Amino acid sequence: MPVTFHIPGPLRQFTGGHSKVEIERSPTTLADALSALWSLHPGLRDRIANELGQVREHINIFIGDTDVRYTGGMTSPIQAGSEISIVPAISGG
Amino acid sequence: MRKERFVIGQVLGHCRVLAKIGEGGMGVVYRAHDEVLHRDVALKVVKKDARLDSSAGQNLLLEARASSSLAHPNICTIHEVGETDGELYIVMEFIEGKSLHDMIGDTGLPPESVLRYGVQIASALSRAHDRGIVHRDLKAANIVITSDGLVKVLDFGLARRVRGPVLDGATRSFETAQDSSTLSGTVSYMPPEVLRGEAVDYRSDLWALGVVLYEAASGRLPFEGRTGFEIGSAIMHQQPKPLGPPVPPGLWATIQRCLAKEPSQRYQRASEVQAALETVQSAAIVSADSGPDRNIGPRTTVLHGVRHVRVKRGDFLLLVGTTKGAFFLRSNAQCSRWEVGGPYFHGHAVYAMAYDGRGGQHRIWASTHSYWGTLLRSSDDFGKSWTNPREAPIRFPADSGVCLKNIWQITPGPPDEPSVLYCGVEPAALFETRDSGETWSLVRGLFDHPHRPRWMPGNGGLALHTILLDPSEKQRIYVAISAGGVYRTEDGGCTWTAQNRGIRVVFMPGKFPEFGQCVHKIAMHPSRPGRLFLQNHWGLYRSDNRAEDWTDIANEVPSDFGFALVMHPKNPECAYIIPVESDEFRCACEGRLRVYRTRNAGASWEPLTRGLPQKGAYETVLRDAMTADSLDPVGIYFGTRSGQLFGSRDEGKSWQKLLEGLPAIVCVKTAFVEDASAGSAVTLPRASVAATVRSKSGATTKSRRTRIKKR
Repeated sequence: MPVTFHIPGPLRQFTGGHSKVEIERSPTTLADALSALWSLHPGLRDRIANELGQVREHINIFIGDTDVRYTGGMTSPIQAGSEISIVPAISGG
Repeated sequence: MRKERFVIGQVLGHCRVLAKIGEGGMGVVYRAHDEVLHRDVALKVVKKDARLDSSAGQNLLLEARASSSLAHPNICTIHEVGETDGELYIVMEFIEGKSLHDMIGDTGLPPESVLRYGVQIASALSRAHDRGIVHRDLKAANIVITSDGLVKVLDFGLARRVRGPVLDGATRSFETAQDSSTLSGTVSYMPPEVLRGEAVDYRSDLWALGVVLYEAASGRLPFEGRTGFEIGSAIMHQQPKPLGPPVPPGLWATIQRCLAKEPSQRYQRASEVQAALETVQSAAIVSADSGPDRNIGPRTTVLHGVRHVRVKRGDFLLLVGTTKGAFFLRSNAQCSRWEVGGPYFHGHAVYAMAYDGRGGQHRIWASTHSYWGTLLRSSDDFGKSWTNPREAPIRFPADSGVCLKNIWQITPGPPDEPSVLYCGVEPAALFETRDSGETWSLVRGLFDHPHRPRWMPGNGGLALHTILLDPSEKQRIYVAISAGGVYRTEDGGCTWTAQNRGIRVVFMPGKFPEFGQCVHKIAMHPSRPGRLFLQNHWGLYRSDNRAEDWTDIANEVPSDFGFALVMHPKNPECAYIIPVESDEFRCACEGRLRVYRTRNAGASWEPLTRGLPQKGAYETVLRDAMTADSLDPVGIYFGTRSGQLFGSRDEGKSWQKLLEGLPAIVCVKTAFVEDASAGSAVTLPRASVAATVRSKSGATTKSRRTRIKKR
């Protein structure tokens, strides 16, 4: 089963307007999955990650319902059929 | 034809010569078979007439033996060195593959390949340098790529004692010494210090590595010419043409640092280059263009649902950056009002804006900062469409260990170099473009300054917020860093010195340190560029000697704490500030919004209050939120954190509120839209806002015919 990314509205300009992106190959970690996502839609990379490859401070990534901060960050394991959500954090001013 | 010293079938040591495979300036190379170890080897026999000096033969032997200790997968292994009948011979690993030179072609290799090979070359150099061996003749022809992608660097340590610039390849570089193309090709890899006749060390190899990477990435050499002299001149004096996509910015930044003219400005170790290339390589993709759906994603964004201003020649614009987007205000004298456009970049903080009318363009620059990172964008149609780069154009190189937080300043370069711009960013650093913003590079001379680790972030972060270019000396640039102080370069950015003598700090034990001052703003007068004014975190100063010394000029001001500072564009005695009460209470003193002006270079200051609120106005005007125009009389404009925009068209005598209800204003800039291609102000419509006149000083200025009316 493919891994599915859920793309937030502000970033759909880089996915041809699609709210979901499926990764056909089988990533084993979040880093693998993001790598595949960047390859499909290059404009997403610099919006989600900084130059050091770290997810930006005010962006959260969930695998299913779990924030990857609690599952190993970039090394979080990905299962076939996983659903990955990219969500801007609650912050403002 | 010269008689061959060895003939096919002859045995040398325990190697039987099988075939001649090449000949270079230094020797002849044979394919041979080691009959003891049963392996094919390359056998190089150094020519007796290989221009070795008297002691060089023995030295070459010693170095070849040293090189033979370099057991590394990316270094061609030397198995044996010896001497027979007065001739040196070297038995080395036989490598089947193609030279990098042959592989590169006209357009270069894909970035992935450049990175993959570059990492291996750097690794090989790192091993050699750790053993005290400098290659000295690294070039694409001396690098072989095997069929399984393994890099083999040839000729370590073999080039050192050969006299003159013509150095030879051991097993794959077969040009003759008399071949002028060989000479040119070799000169192309020489660093400036070699051309100057100075001592060579391992950093010369890093220069050559930069040339190899550039060549591999682009298919051309970074420094070209028809003759060796022209190439040498280019190496000494020119900068390589920037490499844009598909070359990743991180790779280009790495190459640039390898190609720093001064060895001290380069990487100091091959392992650093290797780490930098690996970091770029480890990025999930190496190029925004390498994805299969590379056309998905807009290059530009057209903003719908935004009110645009209709700009004509002769119009005057205010560019207003706020914490939630940007606004344009257009002055149209015919209508006698301000037309407002925006918000552009809805919800994004716009800390820096600039108008660039050089070279016939009408380009507006803006930095945008949000959840999704910091981007530099531009518009050539006054905001109707903006660039929306897939890859952030300003980014720290992979080896820097830091990432971009914000862009605080956008400064167009000299008038006669319309493709040059600078950006000051957070964390404190200076970026430069020489191709109108297509590619940006970190100014390493400042970033690598030994003071940088000891700069401290202020309340707003550690930012390089002000860039001043000296119009009388193109190589001289000033920057201000909070909290690092004022730095100046006299050589276009290669080297920088702290220029803070006389500036006080209140947050360190020593009150007058060499650097570390929390400078909030500096300003320079274009007609007298040796004069600068400075608003400090507590302190107001002036320098009349290019920032060599600073004098306290906080005379008759209610507070010497403040942020905003602008100079009168025509009068070097005149400057404007807006003091705030204190470090703890950063609001207008006594709740009275007052602009202070000096007309005697700081000997005294006068409050300018007419039209400004003088009761309960606890306003703050930030460092880039005040500006002056170039009209006659001069206009002064400023915005507050409460979103009010004020303007004066009579040099500060009276003020009017132009707009209120904006988000917090962090940046105010002006633009006078004239026909830049004509080189002077255009013929304006009958009732236009401005007309060209000759001022008393003789300078061409635009006179103001109408007064601002409140919108």
